[in-house]
Amino acid sequence: MSTKSQEKQLITLKSWDEEEFVVEESVAVKSETIKNIIEDCGLELIPLPNVDGKTLAKVIEYCTKHSTGSNDDSEDLKKFDDEFLDSKEIPVLIDIVLAANYLNIESLVEKICTKIADRIKDMSVEEVREAFKIENDFTPEEEKKIRNEHAWAFE
Amino acid sequence: MAYSFPEEVLEHVFSFLNTDRDRNTVSLVNKSWYEIERWCRRRIFIGNCYSISPNAMIRRFPEVRSVEIKGKPHFADFNLVPEGWGGYVYPWISAMARAYPWLEEIRLKRMVVSDESLELISKEFKNFKVLVLSSCEGFSTDGLATIAANCRNLRELDLRESEVDDLSGHWLSHFPDTFTSLESLNISCLSSEVSFSALERLVSRCPNLRSLRLNRAVPLEKLSNLLRRAPQLVEFGTGAYFAEPRPDVLPNLVAAFSGCKKLKALSGFWDVVPAYLPAVHSVCSGITSLNFSYAPIPSHDLVNVVIQCPKLQRLWVLDSIEDSGLDDVATFCKDLEELRVFPSDPFGAEANVSLTERGLVSVSEGCPKLQSVLYFCRQMSNAALAAIALNRPNLIRFRLCIIEPQAPDYQTLEPLDVGFGAIVEQCKELRRLSLSGLLTDHVFEYIGTHGKKLEMLSIAFAGNSDSGLHHVLSGCERLRKLEIRDSPFGDRALLANAAKLETMRSLWMSSCSVSFGACKLLGQKLPRLNVEVIDERGTPDSRSESCPVEKLYIYRTVVGPRFDMPDFVQTMDLDAPIRLS
Repeated sequence: MSTKSQEKQLITLKSWDEEEFVVEESVAVKSETIKNIIEDCGLELIPLPNVDGKTLAKVIEYCTKHSTGSNDDSEDLKKFDDEFLDSKEIPVLIDIVLAANYLNIESLVEKICTKIADRIKDMSVEEVREAFKIENDFTPEEEKKIRNEHAWAFE
Repeated sequence: MAYSFPEEVLEHVFSFLNTDRDRNTVSLVNKSWYEIERWCRRRIFIGNCYSISPNAMIRRFPEVRSVEIKGKPHFADFNLVPEGWGGYVYPWISAMARAYPWLEEIRLKRMVVSDESLELISKEFKNFKVLVLSSCEGFSTDGLATIAANCRNLRELDLRESEVDDLSGHWLSHFPDTFTSLESLNISCLSSEVSFSALERLVSRCPNLRSLRLNRAVPLEKLSNLLRRAPQLVEFGTGAYFAEPRPDVLPNLVAAFSGCKKLKALSGFWDVVPAYLPAVHSVCSGITSLNFSYAPIPSHDLVNVVIQCPKLQRLWVLDSIEDSGLDDVATFCKDLEELRVFPSDPFGAEANVSLTERGLVSVSEGCPKLQSVLYFCRQMSNAALAAIALNRPNLIRFRLCIIEPQAPDYQTLEPLDVGFGAIVEQCKELRRLSLSGLLTDHVFEYIGTHGKKLEMLSIAFAGNSDSGLHHVLSGCERLRKLEIRDSPFGDRALLANAAKLETMRSLWMSSCSVSFGACKLLGQKLPRLNVEVIDERGTPDSRSESCPVEKLYIYRTVVGPRFDMPDFVQTMDLDAPIRLS
């Protein structure tokens, strides 16, 4: 266990593609996953095999902003959150939400899910498939049957 | 590379999608999304109870918490759907009782609800919270008693405009003393007196009560007691608004209303004595909704209240408000979005009040946010309709009811085709339209050409020939509900546009010229539609092919013909010729 010092404790986070990020412990523990690792193992270098460097950088950006001590509801933070998320395309948001989910950063997962839902609201089925890079595995007959059921019964 | 989304993250995204449209979109993305979505869909809306079966709904969506179902077609409101036609909710309730033990909300419109259904609801759904019965029938106050007695977590009981077999007001006393969760109660359609002390105790012990709509039998003298116990009310419907003249009535009312600082909506006002209306003045500045449709009082008494409501968004009123009153509305109620003017004497031969087309023109000029209109009157002109259209191109719903069928433009004696044409041409977002007055096929030409966003159209005593119907069916791309009565539309337009019927929720035609043979043909051509011939006039066997049917109701369904029809309803399908023998 590292001894407590007057200086802020620093932690190194390493992505699967070998990028290292040195962050204050108070920022790193925004992730419940990392918090548990620190508490259980006392590591100062934490490997994160499920997150790539680019995405980890963005997650750290969010966590840094959200550990300044100010209230999570403050106008500044809300503005930051909106800009942080609105500026990103869906594939990037997906990367971040998967990382945030793995790292157990609840507030970030929640916010991204809301944003992704907002984007989906204007989309057609084809657009959603494209944004999420998903193949349609319905046969034309199956798809038609469901579309009919929607229009005829559930709308 | 496809993203392997953890199911719970995807479910979480879906939890922010609340419209049927969005839920339906994501469920079509691929099989995996379909599976995830169907397990987490919690709200279902069924626009036509016969379009799908309860079991089919349950098979696809196993974990539903809230269901809304509609039964009879809209023209049932005008007594055009015979008693016993259908719309029974019991099969839905009994299936859901087995499948959805955690169901919390049931909202029904124009359905037949039995006391057994209510009892089942009260006993099988342990966390039941919301029951809304809109224009329903078939149940009695005994059924309400079981709801009151057993639904420990009930938040909302709303009986709006239902026809209830009102055996006694005692049912209200069945809410146990431990019951405190009520947030909304609407009993305005009931006629019996409920136990007032039970009502008072109920109101006192429910701190979250925000909406209370009383019935006529609650006397005015009791209002103050209730309002004092519920100063947090946001919506309030009075009972009979009259009392023997006594000096303390008005001061008590004034004090009671002034305590309710959150009131936004007022209704009730049966038998209103105008002298007591000023009691509401203290809350007028916050009022957004006023329903005076049971108050046949002189215009100036209505206006005295209305002009104090600058935030008014919705006004329902009788034609006793007159043109002069509507002028005042136009001046003072700049936030008005919805206006409904009902007839105080619909069956009188002559106009009893001075309400004409001018009142509506005035409101259309003065109220920039007006979107939704329902207007009963006795005269209309093309010029007035054109003016309304020009003033208010943002109209979404326009229902005009000129009381005399086939009344022409009262100034020129011409049909009102051009006037309604102006409405559909200018109002590009128009979704709902009801026509009246003298109308030829021309009006349907305008509607077919311009009514591109029209979803619901009501036609009565209009048109000359099948071209009228053809214009509508071929032109109105977004049409979902079409209801027609007493108009000379027959086989040709219907058969030529048969495929269109699969893109609509339903078509109702009564007292038109559609032949029995055409109905059979439609039923055979389009097996996925239920073509119901409703005819109370005698034995179907004796009917010839060319005989026009009395009533016709056609709707698309994924489950085929229903089996709960009375003998005066026949579904035309492939077996129709055989079934007649």
